[in-house]
Amino acid sequence: MKYHITVDGRPHEVEVVERLGELVVSLDGKAFDARYLEVDDLGQVVILHEGKSYGLSIEGDANQKYVTLAGHVRDVRIEDEREKAARAAERARNKGGGAVLAVMPGVVVEVLVQKGKRVQKGEPLLVLSAMKMQNEIAAPVDGVVVDVHVAAGQAVAGGAKLATLKADETA
Amino acid sequence: MFDRILIANRGEIALRVIRTAREMGIETVAVCSDWDQKALHTRMAHVAVPLGGNLPGESYLRVDKILDAARKTGAQAIHPGYGFLSENANFARAVRDAGLAWIGPPPEAIEAMGDKIKSRRRMKDAGVPVVPGLVDPVDDAAAAKAAAKPIGYPIALKAAAGGGGKGIRIVRDEAGMDSAFRTASGEAKASFGDGRIYLERYLDRPRHIEVQLLFDHKGNGVHYGVRECSIQRRHQKLLEECPSVVIDDKTREAMGEVALKAGRAVGYQNAGTVEFLWSNGEFYFLEMNTRLQVEHPVTEMVTGTDLVREQIRVAAGEPLGYGQEKVRWNGWAIEIRINAEDPRNKFLPSIGTIKNLRMPGGPFVRLDLGMYRGMEVGPNYDPMLGKLIVWGATRDEAIARCSRALQELNVGGVRTSCPAALSVLQDPRFQKGDFDTHFLESMDLSTTPPEHDGVVAVAAAIARHHQQRRTALKTSAADRDAWVARSRAGVQAPLVRVSTPGGGA
Repeated sequence: MKYHITVDGRPHEVEVVERLGELVVSLDGKAFDARYLEVDDLGQVVILHEGKSYGLSIEGDANQKYVTLAGHVRDVRIEDEREKAARAAERARNKGGGAVLAVMPGVVVEVLVQKGKRVQKGEPLLVLSAMKMQNEIAAPVDGVVVDVHVAAGQAVAGGAKLATLKADETA
Repeated sequence: MFDRILIANRGEIALRVIRTAREMGIETVAVCSDWDQKALHTRMAHVAVPLGGNLPGESYLRVDKILDAARKTGAQAIHPGYGFLSENANFARAVRDAGLAWIGPPPEAIEAMGDKIKSRRRMKDAGVPVVPGLVDPVDDAAAAKAAAKPIGYPIALKAAAGGGGKGIRIVRDEAGMDSAFRTASGEAKASFGDGRIYLERYLDRPRHIEVQLLFDHKGNGVHYGVRECSIQRRHQKLLEECPSVVIDDKTREAMGEVALKAGRAVGYQNAGTVEFLWSNGEFYFLEMNTRLQVEHPVTEMVTGTDLVREQIRVAAGEPLGYGQEKVRWNGWAIEIRINAEDPRNKFLPSIGTIKNLRMPGGPFVRLDLGMYRGMEVGPNYDPMLGKLIVWGATRDEAIARCSRALQELNVGGVRTSCPAALSVLQDPRFQKGDFDTHFLESMDLSTTPPEHDGVVAVAAAIARHHQQRRTALKTSAADRDAWVARSRAGVQAPLVRVSTPGGGA
């Protein structure tokens, strides 16, 4: 199986093939000789590679993993060929606009825009209060507010739709 | 001395107090919300009293429930920890009125220091240097703009009743005032019920230096030297050290004297901290925190003093029993706050269940943790999970040890502030001591060095491969249902056959 992987946004390709019960791995087209040992079922892993040992922690789901090595956490995204094609199609449809989601559960303190308003990238759309802090939720792109899904005083779950933007067409 | 004390708090600080109390032979009473019934502080205390509810307002902020718990369990004193009711003068008064000892300063001192504006006036009168630009609080952005003109930008907006970084914004120019005032005032109103804001001049390359104080009930006081807390974001501290690269012995003594003067001016007792802004060799009074602070362990490590023990001792009426000459400083200590927040995403709170927990160890490494494997980190409380504290003979040694320990630590299930702290420790400017309170905000925390990308990418791919293989091999619910259905049919089939007239061969 071939995986398209980004490590903090830096792209890599890893191919994992099972041959006679052994994993054969290549990284960016070159054979990658490694032993991979699971320490426990929580995500502690050891990789032995070219005489060096790496103690890693791996968490997350099939598409997004957080890999910790020597105290630094890498944001790793993984897609196989089919998932990559599906996401490219999705992106082409939205052009960077689409729904603005709550990154955490909280309470909407104030809505600063209304349906039909033109906004610039970075302009505050609403104020969300979570864990005793108030945070401005900014427009991710230049565009028009198509819909506002929440009202002031409303409690929202993490991942809830706050507003929908239509991104400006760029040449 | 007390036989039994109640700790009106949760998390690592509740545990911190329980540990010292146990060492002193004092029994401890924990209080807990429904959410915290399995928490470490609930488990480690001698007695735990459920307060009910999940929100702070239903539990740790309920004066009536906490006093009731103290009465029912026969506790003789209450330690408030930090946050929650620790700086609530009415609570301190209610504790005393209930005939209990309050392990903290007198309510009058809390009140005198609690209002930022009044406290600064009072300090100015007492001869303590204060930051320029003190004016009356304002309640709208237009008034703030007018008030800002004579002070000059950049301006710091602060909640009149504030603390803990809530309701604070920095405004670089007049155009930024509307947005900053709205969020600062809104936050102040939500947190403290008072949306008034005051303004002051934001100092050039300021450093946050604070002095630890301890007074007994007779007013004998000593200072325990300085801590530097300049590594902060939106006034939430991330890394603290004791002492500070910019404070020599002479300055330390000068600041200590000023801090003691500030404490005496309000009749202070017990442990407290005077915060200063330090800029180009000058220091100004910022505020006094009338409680034990989160970062107190760095002072403990360098002075060899258990500050909670000292707090309990003086609250029980014991004299301090020593003077300034007995306080000695040895080596360097650094503390990292382990917060459930994502440094990649503006340090926004991160929630989840802590699963994959790997702890550091080794010489001179101290962990004050409220977290444990299986803990659910929810949105109702402060995101601090615990603290990592290390000691070293020199600052360089402490930095190296702290980096080493952070590389051993893994907190899986939530994002934490730890990678940001590690980036600070590994930054040559920090190592040289060349930083100010803007340092953390100026850092690019969005990425990591690419040197281990290959191993990381391969590990992630193999982990996914194994995960999918396990999922494929595992009997799915649908498989199981079909199997159960088949086996039932197998059992029933002969019966059917037997009972069917004319059936069978």
